[in-house]
Amino acid sequence: MLEIRNIDAYYGKVQVLSNVSLEVGKDEIISLIGANGAGKSTLMKTVMGLLRPKKGSVIFQGEDITKIKNTKIVSRGIVYVPEGREVFPEMSVRDNLEMGAYCRKFSSREMKTHLEDMYEIFPKLGERQKQLAGSLSGGEQQMLAICRGLMSDPKLIMFDEPSLGLAPVIVEDMFRVIVKINQIKKIPVLLVEQNAYMALSISHRCYVMANGMIRLSGRSEEMLEESDVKKTYLGG
Amino acid sequence: MSIIMQLIISGIAMGFIYALVGIEYTLIWNASGVLNFSHDKLITLGAYIFGGTYILALKMGFVQGILLSLLTVAIVGVIIARTIFIPLRNLTMIYTIMATVMLGKIIVEGIRLFWGPVPFSVPGFLVGTVKIGKVVISRANIAIIITAFICVCALQLFLYKTKPGKAMRCVAQNRNAAQLMGIDVKTVMVTTVAISMIICCLIGVLVSPLLNISTTMSNMIGLKGFAAGVIGGFGYLPGAIIGGLVIGIVENFASMIFPSVYKDIAAFVLLVAFLLIRPKGITGKTR
Repeated sequence: MLEIRNIDAYYGKVQVLSNVSLEVGKDEIISLIGANGAGKSTLMKTVMGLLRPKKGSVIFQGEDITKIKNTKIVSRGIVYVPEGREVFPEMSVRDNLEMGAYCRKFSSREMKTHLEDMYEIFPKLGERQKQLAGSLSGGEQQMLAICRGLMSDPKLIMFDEPSLGLAPVIVEDMFRVIVKINQIKKIPVLLVEQNAYMALSISHRCYVMANGMIRLSGRSEEMLEESDVKKTYLGG
Repeated sequence: MSIIMQLIISGIAMGFIYALVGIEYTLIWNASGVLNFSHDKLITLGAYIFGGTYILALKMGFVQGILLSLLTVAIVGVIIARTIFIPLRNLTMIYTIMATVMLGKIIVEGIRLFWGPVPFSVPGFLVGTVKIGKVVISRANIAIIITAFICVCALQLFLYKTKPGKAMRCVAQNRNAAQLMGIDVKTVMVTTVAISMIICCLIGVLVSPLLNISTTMSNMIGLKGFAAGVIGGFGYLPGAIIGGLVIGIVENFASMIFPSVYKDIAAFVLLVAFLLIRPKGITGKTR
């Protein structure tokens, strides 16, 4: 589905990614874990075409999208739900969702079924569809950001720290929804998380990143077992 | 009594002009996070293109002249967006501000070279008065109120009901997220600057019956429009309208109490007062 091959990327002169390769297969949930500043978000930005890599390539559905414009990448079906939610605060919940489908030309009936779909996943959003997004709670904003991402029927969805700053109960809900999205909608998921245990427990495979490099990769269950992974990256 | 009515109406007319300036200013601020310090010069440019070239030099009809002027400035807007706002959008704001200040200087000097330094007026354009009951209103004021009102409503509909309009608001509220929705931020910026230029030109055309067309004609309007934005709540379009109307009416009444040469002071006293007491503006909203 998505293949990242030997990416080198720089912010100015500072190298932030070196020789990063990663693969997301059909129907898979892949988690990408690592400490702050390891380059996880940068990698997402590179996939989205917001940062141009110096070397390497990004292949999506068999096509090289490394040099394609960001807007084209979105309309090809890759959606990135950014860290910190980033909703449009002065727009209603409903408008936020509709803007999620910006790159699709939905008829008003299609738009309606999509909206209803989202309200089914998160009934709270349906109740609050006329409310301004900025007035929602943190958890609700995160739900909105996820749904906004789903509105365009993505072929691959990438979540950046969806659990950040949320209460533990809500975090569990959030991960349950991510699994649901993957199973019911058959959308492959690339999940970036600092909450490594959670991420490992729902994902099929996992990559561990540090200092702009992939240090480890493997099946998530095995990673949870291995003691040195625990020690180094999961804090004991 | 009829004097008060007249003052209110001409106050509203000027208020709408200030509101349009505030809106034109606000649009660019929202789309690119930059204050466009050349905007008053762009108003002047609009008036010169309309009066100097299309009407006086090419002897066109007023309607045709206005439409062609709007088209011309829209093209100029696209060029300005492509050469200034887009290339400088990721740098610190001060660079773009300096660039817009310089753009203003270039426009003024360009005008002086191209159209000459002598102020002029457009004969026969929106002259005369209309008498409604005992109240005498100038045609120019009526034209300003109607045009500005239509313009404001159209803009509001565009921003809140259409997809490109909503995309513009998305960029204003969260540029990063807008990009992730697949909104082409550059296109939005170009559109915004072009729309803003069209409004500038419209302002220039509308005030040309009230002021002579000269390189300094819009200095005061530009500043008061900025004040309108601040007083209403910067970045919030309905705020600019409220702010504009407040300034227009207050300054007209000030001219009743104080000698009318002190009229301009009223707007700026109001601006400073708001900055000190309520910097969020009357509406307290932004964007």
